[in-house]
Order: sequence, then structure tokens, then C-alpha cells
Amino acid sequence: MARRLMLALFSALFVLYVAGPVLWLLSSSLQMESEITAVPPNWLPPHPGLHNFTAIFTAGDSAEYANRGIAGFLPSGAANLLPSLYNSLKVGLWVAALNLVFSLTAAYAIAVIDFKGRRATLYTVLATRVIPDIALVVPLFLVIRNLGLINSIGALVVTYLAITVPFTIFILISYFEGIPRDLYRACRIDGCGHWGALRHVYLPLSLPALVAALMFAFLTSWNEFLFALVLTQNVAAQTLPIIIAGFVMDFTTSFSFVNAAGVIAILPPVLLAILFQRYIVSGLTAGAVKG
Amino acid sequence: MAAITLQGVTKRYGQVTAVQALDLAIREGEFMVLLGPSGCGKTTTLNMIAGLEDISAGTLLFDTKDVTRLPPHQREVAMVFQSYALYPNKTVAENIAFPLKLRRVPQAEIDRALAEVAEQLELTPLLGRRPHQLSGGQRQRVALGRAIVRHPSVFLMDEPLSNLDATLRLSMRSLIKRLHHSLKATFVYVTHDQAEALTLADRIAVMQGGVIQQLDTPEGIYERPANTFVASFLGSPQINLLRQGLPRPAWVPAGQPVIIGLRPEDVAHPREGLTTLGGRVELVSPLGSETQLELALPEATLTLRVPKDWRVREGEALEIGIDPARLHVFDAATERRLAP
Repeated sequence: MARRLMLALFSALFVLYVAGPVLWLLSSSLQMESEITAVPPNWLPPHPGLHNFTAIFTAGDSAEYANRGIAGFLPSGAANLLPSLYNSLKVGLWVAALNLVFSLTAAYAIAVIDFKGRRATLYTVLATRVIPDIALVVPLFLVIRNLGLINSIGALVVTYLAITVPFTIFILISYFEGIPRDLYRACRIDGCGHWGALRHVYLPLSLPALVAALMFAFLTSWNEFLFALVLTQNVAAQTLPIIIAGFVMDFTTSFSFVNAAGVIAILPPVLLAILFQRYIVSGLTAGAVKG
Repeated sequence: MAAITLQGVTKRYGQVTAVQALDLAIREGEFMVLLGPSGCGKTTTLNMIAGLEDISAGTLLFDTKDVTRLPPHQREVAMVFQSYALYPNKTVAENIAFPLKLRRVPQAEIDRALAEVAEQLELTPLLGRRPHQLSGGQRQRVALGRAIVRHPSVFLMDEPLSNLDATLRLSMRSLIKRLHHSLKATFVYVTHDQAEALTLADRIAVMQGGVIQQLDTPEGIYERPANTFVASFLGSPQINLLRQGLPRPAWVPAGQPVIIGLRPEDVAHPREGLTTLGGRVELVSPLGSETQLELALPEATLTLRVPKDWRVREGEALEIGIDPARLHVFDAATERRLAP
């Protein structure tokens, strides 16, 4: 009994620890600036409203700009929020898709085909992730500049792929190696080449891993800050984290807007997770082979 | 149909040689069984015929066509696995039709072939199910169906019955035999089960250490084992192999050290023309139609299988008669068979 009580207590503490900041973000995004900074804090919005969101989404509109005094100080970067949201989405989707294409084919080759230097290939791929990102910033900046890609979506896509592909290859290899080898053999005998085996055996049976890889790549790209800061210069390519960070760098900080922008920033990943969660189920290989 | 010829086929994994310069000619339409203990190279040999393992050295011919370097999907072989290897995301019907789909066979023809195979293997009521909803025997029938649906000239089977229970194994065994008769294809069947080998095979290749120890008909393998390994691998209970204690046939040169083998069932009541041995019954195990017993001779203990009407009891003295012509003689040094 005491054991269960302790378990419940610590579970509750843990949930609070994880969900607390998110709940505060949600709550404060619905409050006025003065309500947020009040002491003691308003845990729930006293006068909940979407005024912060309205202000952000109409930031480009000069008529509404005059009303900024009502809701608090409107950051100068607010007008860039929607374009940067669009940039973030574009980069995230490209990275998620290309990451899957490259990782899938590479992981299949390393996990399934027996070629000379297979282990060495895997270790080389993984070794690239041992180097901390901060050490790569300057070399990558030079490479991207020499390619003429500075301040473009392409620069971010290429850079993020360099981060996500090695990890994804690693995840997929371990998943592929868990798929019964006899299925591959049966497929080859039935008439599949390597593309056929990838399509008919490894692709359908590794759906949970593929969804995980998709989300991993999207989230990595969605949250990334350092490279985005260095490789982009203006709203043509800047992503959401850069713009939101810019809200704080003004001569004063509007918590209500930062929090409203934060809510907007967490929505797409949450939607993505809800959308795909039903694919993240195990037991898809049940009944394939006796085991 | 196709004949399969292996010429000096070798498989090496780094320093380890799994199959060593194997020469084997499998005739068109033959049922060839590769028999041996685990690790003897039989599955590796099968996989090389299938194209699932590269051949390190040697040549593999289907009829006169060199297929040594051909990938599996270009060899037109069908294979049944011990693990069944059914696609878990496909239904029974999709599993069976899959090889035809890949060959872009027209849908009408696929439907016809599918119905025929399902009928033959009694799978018609199960066509809409997925593999995890089937029993082991049903899964293996689906795997057989997937193999026969495209009428391959070569059928490869890797311990297909090993995961089934004893009763099912017997019925599947006769099903496979009937399939061989009706399909008239070349079968290569890998097993470690001597009963499967003896009942199914036209010829058996007994393997050990990556080398074929003997290639012969089931009768030949059982009646004239080439060495002590083959002699003791086939037969249940095992053959009695003794350096002394059994009578030496007259033709064996005096003084030559030999191992004498006696199959447990090659005994009779003492009578004219048989050599008589006497001993004490140590253990009696009734097997229903027969009785297995251990008979202690002065120099050794024999395991014997006798008709149940012998009515032997533990502790009793027993005299048996042995036909010297039924004894197997092996050289004590090389362990190879000696013949008059």
C-alpha cells in the first residue's frame, strides 16, 4: 500500500515536472502582460483571451499595430513569425522526407547486403556524430557559403540531414536486424531483387521505426537553433526558433508574445505525434516465423 | 525440370570452411536428401543452390547452364523454410500469389492458380487469414503453396517439418511425397531427421564436416554404410559398434584390427547357420510392437530390438543368434567399411 502510494506520488511529481512548463506556457499565452508578471502568479488566466495570438497574426497590419499598447509591447520580429513558421515547416518536411530516403537505402545495404567494409561503413557514419555541432559550425558555414547556399532553405536541409541521417541509419539497422532473415530469403527466392526485398519486406515491417525516424528528423529540424542562426540571415530562410529568440533580444521582452509564439511553435510537432501515434505499434512481425 | 550439378563447390567464412569441394550430381526429378547433424554444411549447401549464399569456389550448374553467380530471383527455384517465412502483413492468398505477382502474371491466371493450389493443400477456407491466425501445420502448408504455385523446376526445402509436432510431421511428410510425385520436379531436402530422409529420399547424401560421407539410396545407406559415422547416424536405436565381443566374419583377415557393427534388429533366436552369443538381460524397454533391451555380453553390452513375443525379463540369461553376413565390418584405423 505504502509502495503504491509512493509510486503515485513520484509519478505525479514527475508528470508535474515534465508538463509544468508546458502548462505554464499555455496558461500565460492566454494572459495579459500584467497578469503574467503579477506576484503571486496567476496559475490560471483571470481573463483568458486570444488577444496575444490576434496581435501576432495581425502584426504585419499597420492598423492593428497602433493597438499594441492594449496587449503589451509587440516585438519588432512579430511580423516575421508566420513566414518563419512556413520556413520551419518547409525545412522540417524536406528533412523528414529526404532523411528517410537516404537512411532507408543506406540502412538496408548495411544491415542486409553482405559486402566488404560493411562494419567500417557503419562506424564511419556513426563517427561523424561524435563531433560536437559547435565544432562544425565554422567549417559548415564556409562550405555552405562556398556553395552559395547561405540564407537559403537548402542550406538548412543539407545541414540537418548531416545530423539526422547517421542516427536514423543506426536506428533502422537495429530494427532491420530484428526482422527475420528468412523473410528476406523467401522474398529473394520468390523473385525480388534488393529493391523488391526493401519494398515488400523491410518497408512494411519496419513501419514503427520509419515513423519514429520521420518524427525524429522533423523534430530535430524544428527545434534546431545553432546552425539556423549561423546559416540564415533574414526572413527568407530564418526558422521559428530564431524569430522567437529574437522576441527576447529586443530592448524589452514581452512574455505574453513569447509564450503565444511558443504555443504556436509546439503545435505542429504535437499534431504530428497525434497523427502518427497509431503507427507506432509493435508486434507487426507476429506470425511471420515460428518463434 | 532441371538436373543440379555441383562441381567442387566450396564455402568459406573467413578461416572456416563450411563446405569443402563438394561434388554432387542431382538428377532431374530426383528427391535428394542432404542428411547430417547440425553444422555439417547441409543448409549452407542448400543456400548456395538457392543463391542465398555466395559460392567461394567451384561451379553450380542447372542442367547445362552455369548459375554460380546468378542471384536467387534469376534461378527459378522455390524454397520452403523451417521457420515458414510467411509475409506477416499479407493474407494467405497474397502470400501464395506473391511470386506470381512479382512475375506480372495476369490476374485471371493468378486467381486460377491460387484456387488450384488452395484446393490441393486444403487452404481454401483460410485464404483471407493472416499468418498469425494459423496453426503451425497450416502455415507450413501456405509456405508449400507459395512454393508450388509457380511450378518451379527445382524445389528446395530446409528442414520444413522440424517445427511441427510428431503427428503433423507424419502427415506433412506424406503430403510432400505426394507433391513430389505429382510435380515431377527436382527436390533437394535438408534434414537432420533420419526417418524423414529414409522415407522421402530417392537418394541420400550424408554430410559431416562439410564433406559428403556417403551418397546412396536409403537402402544402400542403411545396409552398406560407408563408414562408422554413417552407420551410427542412421538407425534407431544406434548400431552397436564394437572392437571386440562380436564374432568376426570368416573373410576378415586374422590380426587386422576392425570395428564390428551389429544393427539392433539383426538378431534372431539361435538356430543352425547363426553364430550364438549368450549374455544377461540388463534392461527391458517395451515399445509396443517390439521390445528394446540391453544385453550384457562378457566383453560388451549390446542394444537390441526384438519382437515382443520374445518375452524377455530383466536379469534373465538370453541366447541370441547372429547372421555373420548381416555384420558390418569397418577398418579400426580409418573407420571405413570393409567388404569381402
